[in-house]
Amino acid sequence: MRIPILPFLVTTGIGLVLAQNARADAAGVADQGAQAVQVAQPDKDAQASHGASAGHGCNAPPGDCVAVGHWNLDISIGGGLRTDPVVHEADIPLVVIPHISYYGKRVFIEDLDFGITVTETDASTLSLIASPGYDRVFFYRGDLQNILVPVTVCPCSGPPPPPQIERFPARPRHWTYLAGPEWTFETHGISGQLDLLHEITAQNHGNELRAAVSVPLIESTGSLSANVGLTWKSAAIVNYYYGAPGIYEGGGSLNPFIKLAYSRSLSRRWRLVTLVQYEHLGDAIADSPIVNAHYVMTVFAGANYAF
Amino acid sequence: MLWDRIPFARVVGILLMLAWIPIPAPAITAPGEGIQLEVSPRLCTLAAHEKQCDVVVHASWSAPRAESLCLVLIDRPEIKRCWEHYAAGTYSLEVVFAQDLTFQLRDPALQNVLAAAVLRVIREALEYRHRRRQPWNIFD
Repeated sequence: MRIPILPFLVTTGIGLVLAQNARADAAGVADQGAQAVQVAQPDKDAQASHGASAGHGCNAPPGDCVAVGHWNLDISIGGGLRTDPVVHEADIPLVVIPHISYYGKRVFIEDLDFGITVTETDASTLSLIASPGYDRVFFYRGDLQNILVPVTVCPCSGPPPPPQIERFPARPRHWTYLAGPEWTFETHGISGQLDLLHEITAQNHGNELRAAVSVPLIESTGSLSANVGLTWKSAAIVNYYYGAPGIYEGGGSLNPFIKLAYSRSLSRRWRLVTLVQYEHLGDAIADSPIVNAHYVMTVFAGANYAF
Repeated sequence: MLWDRIPFARVVGILLMLAWIPIPAPAITAPGEGIQLEVSPRLCTLAAHEKQCDVVVHASWSAPRAESLCLVLIDRPEIKRCWEHYAAGTYSLEVVFAQDLTFQLRDPALQNVLAAAVLRVIREALEYRHRRRQPWNIFD
């Protein structure tokens, strides 16, 4: 899959966004009067020590709503790992995983992602986002996306790697950011996400498509959900990370994944979280001489505490 | 005779009409009646980051006749202000609270409630929006 597919995907994605938002906006107008939730207003002549204000604005279940203007922090503590497909790289331990977010009226920050919401309804949201390039995590253990306490399985303090039969010239993979439109939606409990991104930090000028849906399987005292999705990376991104100049040059890569996640509330702030994800690497990545696996496996089990 | 010329039914009708005319009652109030209590402010609005109100509350009362009574706050036994044979009174106090405050005027024995007023707490409503749905994210 080469570059020409991107205009098609972008056009299709934007078409879907506009169609979905047109429907959602029409529904929103019809529901607006009924959905408005206001704080009970006091008598006009009542004296107050402060001015009263009101406003709600989210009709989704409480877990899907977030207060505007507040920072949110939670942390997952447990055990897990993410396999590293790059040769001689050790698996990435997952021990402590903080998660921080902030939502303004329009802007938001989710860990290393940030964005501006263009339009939002109960059914869907269209935003412009910026998100870091993901693949760097396999080359730099200290990458911020490997958010963990790296004291348990750090290869720098372990035994030296086995001698390599063939060495490729080391080269840096810099921090990159990708930006573009993101469409998220929810219908009948199924939530979806579609990102159409372009690298904006002048490192590889590549394109990336991220798409996934989450389907709830069990909703009782705990919740079990299945996520399926894919990541498509253009040849420019594939070669920036996995290419070997003069030795290997790959094309675009389509990486599908499936994830099962289970969570259960233990108290008001504590939650049990477990997940297992299998991501299949496309041939353009898996065929690289610096890659020795066709997949990335991620598992984690622990407890999450919301501050 | 005149009585003989007036039909009995008309007499009964006149008597019934007279029975419907309201007769003003004498302006007499029993002790404790007609007492008015007001507090200012009547509302305290907490911003999202505020936990409690800290305001000076002015309470004032008036009665149609001299009364002996006490001003008390529910659940605040340490606050009590009494008057003896007064027809009006005011009291100001600084108070810290997170829930509605109920002021009461009671008789000196604190047995009967003569009037009451409530200072309400309204918490500023938070504005909410949808959390970003990101099933692509591994930890979402």
